[in-house]
Amino acid sequence: MISKNLTAASTRPIILGVLKQGNSYGYLIIKRIKEMSQGKMHWSDGMLYPVLHRLEKEELIRSEWVMADNARPRKYYHITEKGKQALMTERDQWLQVNSVLNEIWGIEPTS
Amino acid sequence: MELHLRDHIDDLLSEGQTERQAFNIAVQEFGEIKPMAQEVYWSQRPKSNNNFLINTSMLKNYVKIAVRNFMKYKFYTFVNVFGLTVGLSIVFLIGLFVNDELNFDKFHDNADNLYRVVENQYYAGQPVFPVAVTPIALGPSLLQEYPEVERFTRVSNEDFLFELGDGKILERGGIQVDEHFFEMFSFPIVKGSVVSFKEKLNTLILTEHLAEKYFPKEDPTGRTIKLDGEEFIVSAVIQDVPKNSHLDFNYIMNFQDFLADNPDNANNWGSNRLYTYVQLSSATNLENINEKIKGQIKRNAENSVTDIYLQPLTDIYLGEVDFVVEVQRKSRMMYVQVFSIVAFFILLISCINFMNLSTARSAKRAKEVGLRKTIGAHRRQLIFQFLSESVLLTLMAVVLSAGLVSLLIPSFNQLTDKAFDLTTLLNAQSGVVLVLGVLGMALLTGLLAGSYPALFLSSVKPVLALNSQTVSVKQGALLRKLLVVFQFVISVVLIIGTTTVYKQLKYIQTADLGYNKENIVYTSVSGSQSKLFADKLRAQPGVKSVGLSNRHPAYVLSSSSGFQWPGQNPDEKILMHFMGVDEHYMSTMQMRLIEGREFLEADTAVVMINQRAKEMMGLDEPIGKSITSFYGEARIVGMVNDFNFKSIHSEIEPIVIFKLDRLSRVYVKYEDTYQGKIAATMEGVWNELFPDKEYHFDFLQQDFDDMYNAEERTSKLSTYFAILAVMISCLGLFGLVSYATEQRTREIGIRKALGASVKTLFLLLTKDFAKLVLLSLLLSIPLGWYAMDSWLQNFAYHTRLDIGIFVISGIAALAITFVTVSYQSIRASTSSPVKALRNQ
Repeated sequence: MISKNLTAASTRPIILGVLKQGNSYGYLIIKRIKEMSQGKMHWSDGMLYPVLHRLEKEELIRSEWVMADNARPRKYYHITEKGKQALMTERDQWLQVNSVLNEIWGIEPTS
Repeated sequence: MELHLRDHIDDLLSEGQTERQAFNIAVQEFGEIKPMAQEVYWSQRPKSNNNFLINTSMLKNYVKIAVRNFMKYKFYTFVNVFGLTVGLSIVFLIGLFVNDELNFDKFHDNADNLYRVVENQYYAGQPVFPVAVTPIALGPSLLQEYPEVERFTRVSNEDFLFELGDGKILERGGIQVDEHFFEMFSFPIVKGSVVSFKEKLNTLILTEHLAEKYFPKEDPTGRTIKLDGEEFIVSAVIQDVPKNSHLDFNYIMNFQDFLADNPDNANNWGSNRLYTYVQLSSATNLENINEKIKGQIKRNAENSVTDIYLQPLTDIYLGEVDFVVEVQRKSRMMYVQVFSIVAFFILLISCINFMNLSTARSAKRAKEVGLRKTIGAHRRQLIFQFLSESVLLTLMAVVLSAGLVSLLIPSFNQLTDKAFDLTTLLNAQSGVVLVLGVLGMALLTGLLAGSYPALFLSSVKPVLALNSQTVSVKQGALLRKLLVVFQFVISVVLIIGTTTVYKQLKYIQTADLGYNKENIVYTSVSGSQSKLFADKLRAQPGVKSVGLSNRHPAYVLSSSSGFQWPGQNPDEKILMHFMGVDEHYMSTMQMRLIEGREFLEADTAVVMINQRAKEMMGLDEPIGKSITSFYGEARIVGMVNDFNFKSIHSEIEPIVIFKLDRLSRVYVKYEDTYQGKIAATMEGVWNELFPDKEYHFDFLQQDFDDMYNAEERTSKLSTYFAILAVMISCLGLFGLVSYATEQRTREIGIRKALGASVKTLFLLLTKDFAKLVLLSLLLSIPLGWYAMDSWLQNFAYHTRLDIGIFVISGIAALAITFVTVSYQSIRASTSSPVKALRNQ
């Protein structure tokens, strides 16, 4: 199980990353993360929403309600240009952390 | 989030979970509410952090809610706005008044360097005798001997008979001045120039209104007019003297005209007969120059007991020293202070109304506060909201009071003898200051009135506010009670003040002056003809008696320390006043003889003295003793009771009354029923004797009324202020009672249904407030006593502060409160219980 702190720290890049792959709504985002981490990252579902709010306020993502005739109304989030840049920055930082750890543990860098 | 849960549950159902299991799992995975709420809070918080105190996006909402609240609670809005309007109006009016009083004489460009020379005379056994008039020779000597003195002018009041064509009028308000008068004082010239005025004799300067009177629509400069039979040329016209000048005159002549006729007077150091003004160089230290000039009169006049000093021009009007022969336009700093305090307190009373009504009604707003807090409003924002609400309300009051003030200004001008005009006030340079001042005042009032409600309401706990119906009504109840007590203490003190001022005024008006001023009309004729005139008058119907004198009975200002009598301590100088009368004067004035006899027609070289003179002279048996003065030796034949020959502010002083001939003032005592006819009777006799002279007369009673203008004005103003203060306080009380009754509707209904009588209910509702008013009475009596006792000390002769004043004030306050409270109480206790209970 991945620790709470690490989970919390990685929330931003993960959500931005998921949204970079395509627009999505809250429940789907959570579902996707759970699938990808194979249940190793512990998320309470509710905690997603404050983060989404914050990202939206920072203008990294935008949201809009989508009303379909035969489905529930859903609030779809999509990543903005600013969000994509933020994601790049996060990615660089995570990779740097990753390469430092790799070096320490004697693993050849993969990229 | 709800949709999230539903999606999750749907998924779980499709995986084969039961509905209950699916719900439980979804909720569990959703996480704990508390950390999540915290997270939401933190993520939302920066929104309000952008603009911590003033949330601009909420401003519109604040105004909307404020307006809705004003509309919803019209009665309370009315009470608040009305109270504040009246309070602010009073503050504005008094502000204008005080500002004007404080700026008296400041319009002169040289105001800061101008001084009036005044005297302190010292006599044995008597208090310092301050005198505003000085000898003729003083001004020139100051200029000559002291380099600090740059200019001087003497100002001598003299009225002249104007003759133009056939008309002859005794014009009041003439002054004779020295050549630098116009360089020292700033009285703008409208036409002509003052150059010839300085250089030539017999030139005259008119004020605009006098110019218009004698030369309507013409240019008067260069025209001639006869003054006391001599021809004068009008050299210039100046603007009318502003109302805020202590110097008040209608026309000006050169003092050299007087000296040309009376050349011996130029070096006169003995008699104080005119005002002396000097202009000092800017760098002069007042204390130093005062020290230098102090003995100027003593150095020039033998045996003088007079010191002099310089009184700044701008201190003359509000000066606290009671000078002898003071100018007419004179007030006291005390009145300015008292009115300022009163204005402040009245504003405070109306602010208290606002505080009390707002906090009392807090339950109604508590829900709003609870809700606002729940959705993220910060306390500071709520404080801002409530403060802006009260400022908005105050602004409404400001707009209304601007209207009210403009309506009241004419009456206020009349009451205070001022000439305020809103358009000129706003147009002038001070207009911006005025508007800013008013807005500042509104802001300050709004903040003052709104501060407590804002702090109080914003402290409401949201959970309590949203849960319970009656939150916080009890909270702040003690403070509300204290504030009500405070309001009533102020009101009652004002009532006590008004009653005392009124009583003192009545006392002055009806005081035993030692003579009877009623039904006396007087005029002046030349001394050689007064006896004939008096004899003719005595033969007229309605005339009771006619007496002659050389002084006005209430303005005997001539005094001398040159009297000598047997047994006098040669080292002591005693200042004694003196006047001359004929043998009919005493009986005309109804003065009382204590010892000896009255004057007889055949008497020569006789005097009478008053009781005070007997004491001061140290004579046990004054009758028959001789007294020597500039009139020669005279025998004391009688002693009269002490009578007030000056303002009642000052104590009775010693006076010597001479029996003289050729007296010019004629006093006529007439029958009460001849009130309306006496003027015509006198004019008939006048025209018969002096067909070519203008007839003029005055009533003694009127002079007396003029003498106590300041007191009369104070009495009127304080009456209005007291009425308004009581009214605003009662309005607030009415609001509180209405609210309390409204809150207790259900209780009253139940009590009634259970058989409570109207009387019991009435007592129940009234007693709380009655207690408060009683408490205020207890507090205000000592305060009122202290304040009014200090005020009365200003008068040498004054009314007593008796228990009656306090009883009347107390009963008045209680009665007014009772009426205020009863209206609502009776309405509530007589209303049908069914209605009350059904509505709740």
